[in-house]
Amino acid sequence: MDDWIKKNKRGQVRFRGGSHDWLLAAGIAGNCPHFVLDDEDELLAEEERSCYNCRFRRWIDRYSFVCMKR
Amino acid sequence: MKIYVGIDDTDSIEQGATGETAKQIIRIIEERRWGNCQGLTRHQLLLHPDIAYTSHNSSMCFTAEIETASLEPLIEAAAGCLERDSAPGSDPGLCVAAEEQLRDVESLIAYGYETKKRIITKGEAYELAGKLGVHLSEHGGAGIGVIGALAGVGLRMTNNDGRFQGRLELKVPGAIINVTEILCSNLVERVQSVDGYVLNKNEEVRLGHKLKTVLLGGKRTLLVYRREGALVWKTCTNAHLEHY
Ligand code: SF4
Repeated sequence: MDDWIKKNKRGQVRFRGGSHDWLLAAGIAGNCPHFVLDDEDELLAEEERSCYNCRFRRWIDRYSFVCMKR
Repeated sequence: MKIYVGIDDTDSIEQGATGETAKQIIRIIEERRWGNCQGLTRHQLLLHPDIAYTSHNSSMCFTAEIETASLEPLIEAAAGCLERDSAPGSDPGLCVAAEEQLRDVESLIAYGYETKKRIITKGEAYELAGKLGVHLSEHGGAGIGVIGALAGVGLRMTNNDGRFQGRLELKVPGAIINVTEILCSNLVERVQSVDGYVLNKNEEVRLGHKLKTVLLGGKRTLLVYRREGALVWKTCTNAHLEHY
């Protein structure tokens, strides 16, 4: 199954795992060449390398984010 | 006089962090001996696809004790800092509220909570700032950071919102430490469970990897949790704190 939900009207893809799929978010970021750690105040996951901690995830509500690099 | 300084929208997706800009303003205030600054807090505003924030829509606020004569030069210096240091493409806003000159604290607090629930316009922010007698100004881009800058001040005034910037360094992760020792560090004013129970001085806490404090009841609070039946409290993780 794809980890991303197809592009919205702005052409962005939304993470399928919501805001608490720690394993999936770490797995994707582990292989992502674009990952950049966000500011310390904005980190969510305990493991540093996670989409939840990436500068390029943009929260669209409390439950999901879009990736600005996909 | 006590002032509240709120800033927002100084970063872009590629560079900058509003917390760093706030720390730069704090450095300027203290280097020029205008006063002492206290606790920088981060306040979460509404997450919504139609709001033009960078990635998380949070604003920053700190307080300072200054002489009245320093207020105008401080506003000027903070504005200069936002213009110089904000990321290209950002929309920085600055709010400075002097407690003794503020006309209606309750309206400002209500506005702060409102920015967590609905989309607010720049016009609304300016109108309220004018009524309340607080400084609100924009310093680049579309200037929409004024909305969050004013909200940051309102939410800080609730004494019950936001996480303090930065991590606490107490002891190595995994160490067990009692509440007295935590309070003696002078970095924490209260240790409290996520359910609202305030720990007494003899209780023990196992430290996690990333220690953050939140503003609750006007105090810098270290939040802890305990699984049912466990004796030792544990410090909360970032995930526990996401709604603070
Ligand atoms: S949020 Fe996007 S850019 Fe960042 S690690 Fe995940 S997939 Fe990569």
